[in-house]
Amino acid sequence: MEAVINDYISRELVQDATLLPLGNATPLLETGILDSLSLLRLVMFIQEQFGIAVDDLDLVPAHFASVDTICAYLRSGAGGKAGQAGGLG
Amino acid sequence: MAYLLQHLLTESAGRAPGRPAMASGERFLSYEELDRLSNQVARALLAQGVAPGDRVGILALKSAASVVAVFGALKTGACYVPLDPKSPAGRLAAIMTDSGIAVVLADEGTAQQAAAMAESVPQLRSLIVTGPHWGPEVSRTSGTLPPGLVVVPWDAVLAGPAEALAADRAIDTDLAYILYTSGSTGAPKGVMISHRASLAFVEWAAACTSLGDQDRVCSPAPLHFDLSVFDVFATCRAAACMAVVPEMTSMFPARLAQWMERERISIWYSVPSVLTMLVTYGNLRGFDLSALRAIIFAGEVFPAKHLSGLMAELPGARYLNWYGPTETNVCTWYEVPPGSAALTAPVPIGQPCANTDAFAVTDEGRRVSEPGEEGELYVRGSALMRGYWGDPEKTHRMLVQNPFQAAYDEPAYRTGDLVKLDEEGNYVFLGRRDGMVKTRGYRVELGEVESALYGHPAIREAVVLPVPDELLGSRLRAVISANGPGGLTREEVLDHCRRRLPGYMVPDVVEFRKALPRTSTGKIDRAQLVGTQ
Repeated sequence: MEAVINDYISRELVQDATLLPLGNATPLLETGILDSLSLLRLVMFIQEQFGIAVDDLDLVPAHFASVDTICAYLRSGAGGKAGQAGGLG
Repeated sequence: MAYLLQHLLTESAGRAPGRPAMASGERFLSYEELDRLSNQVARALLAQGVAPGDRVGILALKSAASVVAVFGALKTGACYVPLDPKSPAGRLAAIMTDSGIAVVLADEGTAQQAAAMAESVPQLRSLIVTGPHWGPEVSRTSGTLPPGLVVVPWDAVLAGPAEALAADRAIDTDLAYILYTSGSTGAPKGVMISHRASLAFVEWAAACTSLGDQDRVCSPAPLHFDLSVFDVFATCRAAACMAVVPEMTSMFPARLAQWMERERISIWYSVPSVLTMLVTYGNLRGFDLSALRAIIFAGEVFPAKHLSGLMAELPGARYLNWYGPTETNVCTWYEVPPGSAALTAPVPIGQPCANTDAFAVTDEGRRVSEPGEEGELYVRGSALMRGYWGDPEKTHRMLVQNPFQAAYDEPAYRTGDLVKLDEEGNYVFLGRRDGMVKTRGYRVELGEVESALYGHPAIREAVVLPVPDELLGSRLRAVISANGPGGLTREEVLDHCRRRLPGYMVPDVVEFRKALPRTSTGKIDRAQLVGTQ
């Protein structure tokens, strides 16, 4: 899972080539790799790739700080299956 | 009577000096402080030789420091040019060179980046650091400063007198700011807006929203996006408070909702995609957003289902659709009737703002007047741009003689937007005539992306097409044929684009073909490519 997410972020979201290769512990927020545009794309990718709909209250900096924290969050079983996203549900 | 944007500040500081002008969490800046700090910045600019009519760059994310910079620049009689810190250096250099920026204002977070620009912008001679600095601690990596660049730290600015300058240094027809937007031939173009044009919008917007001094206004739009003219200047006019949302907060919808609750935001203005994220992921039911009395959206079509969803969650707010290109700021508007819980189509762009004339012209040159008729939207009035900086040819193509008045010279702006009149007398947006699309609320000329692609030696031909996307407006699909056999990879193409274009202009999809399909006249057949997604 780390490899899939790292690969997606490295290929699709990283604007600054000097940040590559991307470590799984590399901070994604401070470095600006994740901003409002790319976060949205990542969430959509997670939904398409893993069938996991990220829950509203789980969309927080702590979960998206790095590839490692993203995977830890996804494995923890939080978040619903695709089609049951938070909000209006 | 305020005839310059900075008068809005001096008047509010005079009558409500202690009221908060800007707030971010625990910190706030009063109107008196904003007035005094901007006086100090103005003097620092004058000491660097800034004269009326000059263009002063401001490289900063939206913050208290950047608003201090805005008013400081205006007070010298110069106009400000907002520079996007997220743009690649090459694009910033092109903008700074094009507008002749010799002095740039940056905050603690962007000072390093601004200094680095001196290498590629020879006429850049001074960098002034603006404040106050409210952000997280920035590690001051000491890079070597380019020789010859004068750097004025914030402490030095604060050491100067804080009294107002003796007299105004501009008149209302002088430029207030230049906003650079995507250019179809590859180079971004600078939309010139005078004080008078800006005030025309500000006055209308304040009246439309009944902005009062108790309001707490927030727009996440960056300074180079004309949405920010509302939250900076209309808020100032009312002596209301501008709440600055930290980017880390605005990115995470539930945190944004929590922030809006805590800050008691009363007026919100943004592109629809932020609101869609809010209604989809913001857990709105968990927060008390009853202070929010007006939600304004602009910049792209708001998908009906998400707007309905938001209205169902927050029924107590007014919902306003403001439409208009950067060249005119907002020119038409529509208030969504309350209880519109089941919208099935995007809402209209509505009717002309007070003191603005917007009309549609059919292909035959007649004025659209009956429901069902379609035409291109033209705009006439004081809020129009002066033109494009350094591009009289493009200016004359877009600012034409009013087609319905021939007695004297009078400009009307051709928006390039196709509209239709509906049964209620509202204009409905139909689409564009040309290669401009909106993605995530940003304006993108497909030609600018294509031009960047053509800059790659291995790319023989390239076409960029919009792919409609419910959330983003459009995604960008690049179809490329490469020179020679050497395997050009998708990563190479994207990397090439990222060096030249801001993130939102980098294609989402890259396809390679041996050759691009052609029409019978030999032109690239875009229609066929659209059909073969």
